[in-house]
Amino acid sequence: MKMNGQVFSPAEQDLVHKKSMDILENVGIAFPDEGTLSLLEKNGASIDWDRQVAKISREMVDHALATAPKEFTLGARNPANDFALPSAYSALNLDGTGVYALDPSTGDKRYGKLQDISNAAKVFETVPMGKVLWPPIVASDCPSGTRNLMGAATSMIHCSKHIQDEVKDVKEIPFLMGLLTAILGSEKSIRERKIYSVTYCTVAPLMHDKDMMLANMELAKLQVPILVYPMPACGSTGPFSLYTNVAMANAEALSAVVLFQLASPGTPIIFGTAQGIIHRKTGLFLEGAPETVLQGVAMTEMGKRYGLPTTIAGCLTDAKEPGMQAVLEKVLTTLPLSLAGADVIQGIGLLESSMTLSLEQILIDAEIAGLCQRMRDGIEVSSEKDCYNDVVSVGQGGHFLKQPSTRAGFRSNEFYTPTLLDRDSYDEWCALGSPNMFTEANKKVKGILAAEPSNPLPLNIEMQIREIMEEMRRKG
Amino acid sequence: MGPQFDEMKRAVLEGDEDLARELAIEALASHLDLKQVMNEGFLKGIQEAGVLYEQGEYFLPDLVCSADAMKSALKVLDEEIKKPTSGMVSKGKVLLATAQGDVHDIGKTIVGAMLTAAGYEVTDLGPDVPNETILSKADELQVDLIGLSALLTTTMEEQRNMIELMNSQNQRLKYKFIVGGAPVTHTWADVISADGYADDAISAVCLVDSLVE
Repeated sequence: MKMNGQVFSPAEQDLVHKKSMDILENVGIAFPDEGTLSLLEKNGASIDWDRQVAKISREMVDHALATAPKEFTLGARNPANDFALPSAYSALNLDGTGVYALDPSTGDKRYGKLQDISNAAKVFETVPMGKVLWPPIVASDCPSGTRNLMGAATSMIHCSKHIQDEVKDVKEIPFLMGLLTAILGSEKSIRERKIYSVTYCTVAPLMHDKDMMLANMELAKLQVPILVYPMPACGSTGPFSLYTNVAMANAEALSAVVLFQLASPGTPIIFGTAQGIIHRKTGLFLEGAPETVLQGVAMTEMGKRYGLPTTIAGCLTDAKEPGMQAVLEKVLTTLPLSLAGADVIQGIGLLESSMTLSLEQILIDAEIAGLCQRMRDGIEVSSEKDCYNDVVSVGQGGHFLKQPSTRAGFRSNEFYTPTLLDRDSYDEWCALGSPNMFTEANKKVKGILAAEPSNPLPLNIEMQIREIMEEMRRKG
Repeated sequence: MGPQFDEMKRAVLEGDEDLARELAIEALASHLDLKQVMNEGFLKGIQEAGVLYEQGEYFLPDLVCSADAMKSALKVLDEEIKKPTSGMVSKGKVLLATAQGDVHDIGKTIVGAMLTAAGYEVTDLGPDVPNETILSKADELQVDLIGLSALLTTTMEEQRNMIELMNSQNQRLKYKFIVGGAPVTHTWADVISADGYADDAISAVCLVDSLVE
């Protein structure tokens, strides 16, 4: 069997669901738009019009969960990178809306630029388990109203995998459609291929943001997959206990599932969370803590309970630079999600509570995730892995090196092949100049950035995308 | 120090809003010396809360409760304190807001409470406020300092826009302008030419003290 991890018993999952339903039915959720409130009322919600709060019934939640598809594929502009959900392994995503980048040449920290997103996309293209790309930082050198789409556009040019991003306003949708049409040719293909999905954050506690909500309801009508991504933090924007913070995040996520299924039944939903805890003194959001990943595992379980694919914030750290703390926290916040079977772990490549991009960290985190995936795959007990006959054949003394099954097995999935870990002898390591994971990752990053792209867009399509980017820049 | 002053200090230190308000009402009814009420009572409480916070004994929720208890006492005493006869002098007028497009305001609210506790007249416009509204209110209230907070990387740009708006209206030198919020740093404050940045409520008070004479 596969190695697994869980935080809730089935009875505890039922209790969390009941608690979430109590929140939805008795406390309600704010939807700050009259049209949306009317839609909710028409479908069974009880509305407090003065406070713009909707109380959502169990029947509405059950109906929404029934209409949300349980299986779908996140397409990619290179179909070889299509990613089917649910997944047998935890695929990887970067984490979006960071602020800074560590320069790969100097190591200096500075505000992120569009070029940093292009570089991250090129590096991400080489990560086998990397299947969904959320542009990791905000490009400070682009006009403020265009930054999301500029990041998505440059990612589409430099990475042939599925792109995911936020859309904060309906005004962004025509530009987004322009980008997707340039690549896919028609609205029909956009609906079918689903090469782009959106991240939708509820506002804790228990609110939706009007502009983002309306924009995402429009995208639902185009069957764009939506990642619902609550972020309450224990004791500040959520209750102090992990248990009730999970129940509240779950209520927020379910309210978004209801909203988008009403806007367009059958909209593909990815169930997620980026909830966490805060520094009890300063209030800073903490990502690398055990209490953060415990909540991520809990929401993975709730997503699976509802039969929905999951994307969970993981591989996280509060460390300010690559190094011991970063690796420790990233392992801590990856392995449990991998063992819980999250479909996508979202957060590789970022440091400082997902504020700072490091291209080297993308590769280091890919290694961490690969090791964690090997842990999840566990010990296979099967006829293929039954080497009893080898034991009979070798008997006492001797060795197994010349057994045909050993030679084949050394090339099988029984053993993980590291890409960065040092497993040389001490003398070999010295002869190589005493490398470490970071120096090795830096060498690889420089090689990737210097190489020709492996899956470039046809030039005419790239030109169309660049024209749209110029238009966005002009219009600000 | 009278026992009632000890109780005022304790009400703030323990974050008991109701008790702080009741004690303030009693203080007015009993015609206690306001300067004593503040300096030996309520202010002592908030100062001690600040010390405990710095020592790591108090966490953020403790500080918020103390600040709110202080505010509830000040709300009762405000009118009397502002009279010249009270002997209390305001250290200056501060206007706070969270940038347009940003609905997060826990941090800014704490900064406001601590500034109030430190003796400033604070007006808090809340979250999601357009820069034009902030500037117009600053003019109306004749404030000394504007503080603009942003939690999101996408809304911190409004802090730069605010400077540009002030410049375009020839009002940049009229107000001190400080910035805060999770993605904001000293570097960002320097880049946009703000007058300062603080990373928590206690240092925000020190910053405002240094900027407002």
